[in-house]
Amino acid sequence: MSTALLEMTGVRKRYGGVQALDGASLTAVRGEVHALLGPNGSGKSTLDKTLAGTVVPDSGEIRIDGAVARIGGPRDAHALGVAAVYQQLSIVGDLTVTQNVVLGLEPARRWGFLDHRAARDRAGAALERFAAAFSGRLPLDRPAGSLGPGELQIVEVAKALARGPRILVLDEATASLHKEQVEVLFEVVGELRAAGVLVLFTSHRLDEVFALCDRATVLRNGRTAGTVELADTDEAELVGLMVGDVPHRAPRRAPATTGAPAPTEAFVGAGPEARPGAEAEAEAVPGAEARAGAEARPGAEAVPGARLEVRGLTTERLRDVGFTARAGEVLGLGGLQGQGQSELLLALFGAARVSAGEALLDGRPLPLTSPVRAARAGVALVPGDRGRQGMFATRPIQENLSLASMRRRARAGLALGAAAERSAARSMVERLRIKLGSLADPVSTLSGGNQQKVVIGKWLLDRPRVVLLDDPTKGVDVAAKEEIYAIVRGLADDGAVVILNSSDNRELAELSDRVLVLFEGAVVEELSGAAITEGRLVAGALRLAPGESL
Amino acid sequence: MSAPTVEAPRRVLAWRPGPVALAGAIAVALVIAGELLSPGFAGYGQLVNLMRVAAFLGVIAIGQTIVIIAGGGGVDLSVGKVATFAAIIGSRVMAGDDAGIVPAVALALLVSAGIGLVNGLCVTLLRIPPFVMTLGMIGVVQGLILAYTGGQASGRAAPALTSLVNGRVVGDLPGLLFLWLLLGLLAVWLLRRTTFGWNLFAVGANRTAAELTGVRVNRTLIVAYVLSATFAGLGGILLLGYTESVFLDLADQYMLPSVAAVVIGGTLLAGGIGGYAGTAVGAIVLTVLQGLLTTLDIGGAGRTVVNGIVLLVLLSLYGRQRRLRS
Ligand SMILES: Nc1ncnc2c1ncn2[C@@H]1O[C@H](COP(=O)(O)OP(=O)(O)OP(=O)(O)O)[C@@H](O)[C@H]1O
Ligand SMILES: [Mg+2]
Repeated sequence: MSTALLEMTGVRKRYGGVQALDGASLTAVRGEVHALLGPNGSGKSTLDKTLAGTVVPDSGEIRIDGAVARIGGPRDAHALGVAAVYQQLSIVGDLTVTQNVVLGLEPARRWGFLDHRAARDRAGAALERFAAAFSGRLPLDRPAGSLGPGELQIVEVAKALARGPRILVLDEATASLHKEQVEVLFEVVGELRAAGVLVLFTSHRLDEVFALCDRATVLRNGRTAGTVELADTDEAELVGLMVGDVPHRAPRRAPATTGAPAPTEAFVGAGPEARPGAEAEAEAVPGAEARAGAEARPGAEAVPGARLEVRGLTTERLRDVGFTARAGEVLGLGGLQGQGQSELLLALFGAARVSAGEALLDGRPLPLTSPVRAARAGVALVPGDRGRQGMFATRPIQENLSLASMRRRARAGLALGAAAERSAARSMVERLRIKLGSLADPVSTLSGGNQQKVVIGKWLLDRPRVVLLDDPTKGVDVAAKEEIYAIVRGLADDGAVVILNSSDNRELAELSDRVLVLFEGAVVEELSGAAITEGRLVAGALRLAPGESL
Repeated sequence: MSAPTVEAPRRVLAWRPGPVALAGAIAVALVIAGELLSPGFAGYGQLVNLMRVAAFLGVIAIGQTIVIIAGGGGVDLSVGKVATFAAIIGSRVMAGDDAGIVPAVALALLVSAGIGLVNGLCVTLLRIPPFVMTLGMIGVVQGLILAYTGGQASGRAAPALTSLVNGRVVGDLPGLLFLWLLLGLLAVWLLRRTTFGWNLFAVGANRTAAELTGVRVNRTLIVAYVLSATFAGLGGILLLGYTESVFLDLADQYMLPSVAAVVIGGTLLAGGIGGYAGTAVGAIVLTVLQGLLTTLDIGGAGRTVVNGIVLLVLLSLYGRQRRLRS
């Protein structure tokens, strides 16, 4: 325990105009779970990658067990006992789970052919420990593409474990896991720690960090800001270390005016003439605008007349979902993940096949048949799967940000002004503090959290009336989370209905005026006001009666 | 958070040549090679002539670029046939008379656009793969041509069209080159400075995300096919101005070179990445290469082999560049 298992010093890496790592260092010992923390774009993933050999640093030294490690590629790292789970999954959807787990391992070959029995055994052994996360049955022979995001993530971890590492890197491995899956993962990490493995753990959920880790190293702008013993550190201190000298905003509900920029700034770039017809439509419902403005959000009594009314919504995975939401209300969706929350959001955006039911927005039917019509009616969706549904990886950040709203800035709906587009994009970059080199860079060059901010930012430029958010702060750092919360409240204060699905109960509790708990596609419980606590949310998700303890 | 949101200056040293620059370098290398192997190849008049030949391919490939950028296996194999049909209609309607130019060009482009519309509708609404659809369309247009001409092309280019295409303007350059420049700038503007262009790239880069961002995916695709056929028709009309009279397979041979020009120009066949500047350079590379092979008197099989090798070399170079960048 006395000598460090891993010592990284003076690691530098530059990408074009961005200094991703600027002399970062990290020291960790055997049998330790070491958190690697920092804001989005601070270089955590890049540091992980230099260790795992997928990024070759410009300079710097890595020592493993005291000896200088020359890591020129993933094979070198592998030979040194380093295995990594990256933020971007590496699973091949067309291969079976077994094939994915043993990919690159090449277990027993007979006559040059893969020995399937051996491969299956090996994958089985690696996945065994996670059996609980698959409700008992290991999906060894299923194509990986048919798994849910959380299961994929678990397979990814199993794949790393199959390599029997001395050092295991987990880069935001919990971001797409359900609570139960997180628990299973934590148990496994505990076993690894006991076996003397060093686990480097990155997460933006600080409760996980405190629950799991022994020490934490904090990166800021590619430099190491410090290493702390978590037992002697509280959350505020840790956040202070992460955000630097910038005072941290109070995490709990604050009036939208203090500290946070005025909510209307969420609409920079959208002039008063934006969304022609919105005013006229609003007038069709007498007093809608006035109500939206006057209503004080938290704890406000139900005002007759809803902005969004959903009746009997039924799809393949939803059963007869109905609710109403007032202008300015933040409606949370609770329950275990995968009970139809994402489907509900997609259905409201016209992107799921709706077999029955209807929705009214400001008293008018909201077409549930196509996303285009939903978007034109003022509905915005931040989807749950950023890579597949939210982002144009190879396109510039500029286009990614402009796409949803450019129509209204364009002359004759066609000609785009470069300056107008740039200033609209810049306003979002500043507001969400997106760390980037140039707006012309592909969005794929951004760090995970910054990509997520781009996906959110494109809609904020569009002045939506209904905002559907599917786990919007996945992988987003603490400060930016607060920023996004402030924006969500700002949108609500301006009269939008916000519907929020979140895998983070703390986030639900903090933001929601009301929470609908979903179970197998139906609303089974509704919590409102003071009843929305993390405890009640967990109990609701597990379908425990009120008062019943966990 | 302390992360600054400044846009750091881009490092010049980090610059690597993109596909457009690489293709441009190849074009120059081919010209130099030509001059060395056969002095006089790079003479002014000779170069102008090569550029003129490249212009027809360049114009027809505008639409091809648009369709390929749209991704999802997008490709328009009917461009050559459509260009031929447009030239045939144009020649018959204008019948060698300047007064007939406007109705002739209008009708030819309208018919072309109609063919593109059918392509687009079938590809989007009936979900017929673009490759199959546009290949089938070649046969349909061939049938239309036979029905329209009865197997015998008639008419003639109007003198005004011929002088517009062939007439010398500035620096002894034919008007055609200025037309190409104009259309090329239009294409670049369309792709880079319009909502259509950005939607098109988005559809090509990630169709699901485009849909979930409120992009009218089908409409964008249909417009792409309409534009493809329209630019092909325009290419046919220009070709008519050049040759003055038509034959029944006037522009048919542009089908594959139009795709090759796009690919050489660095546009990804998978969609979502690329642009017209590259395609224009690609058209020049292909034309200079043909010129060189003709000068060296390499025909038939040898020509095909050389064409193939150049394409493979370029594509592998691009692949390398992409890997270095990511
Ligand atoms: N391939 C790349 N090309 C260009 N820039 C890159 C590339 N990879 C990372 N960067 C830049 O390097 C910086 C650090 O990125 P990194 O992914 O390490 O951040 P991170 O700390 O993991 O952030 P997050 O919490 O958002 O995941 C970012 O500003 C990012 O834009
Ligand atoms: Mg990261």
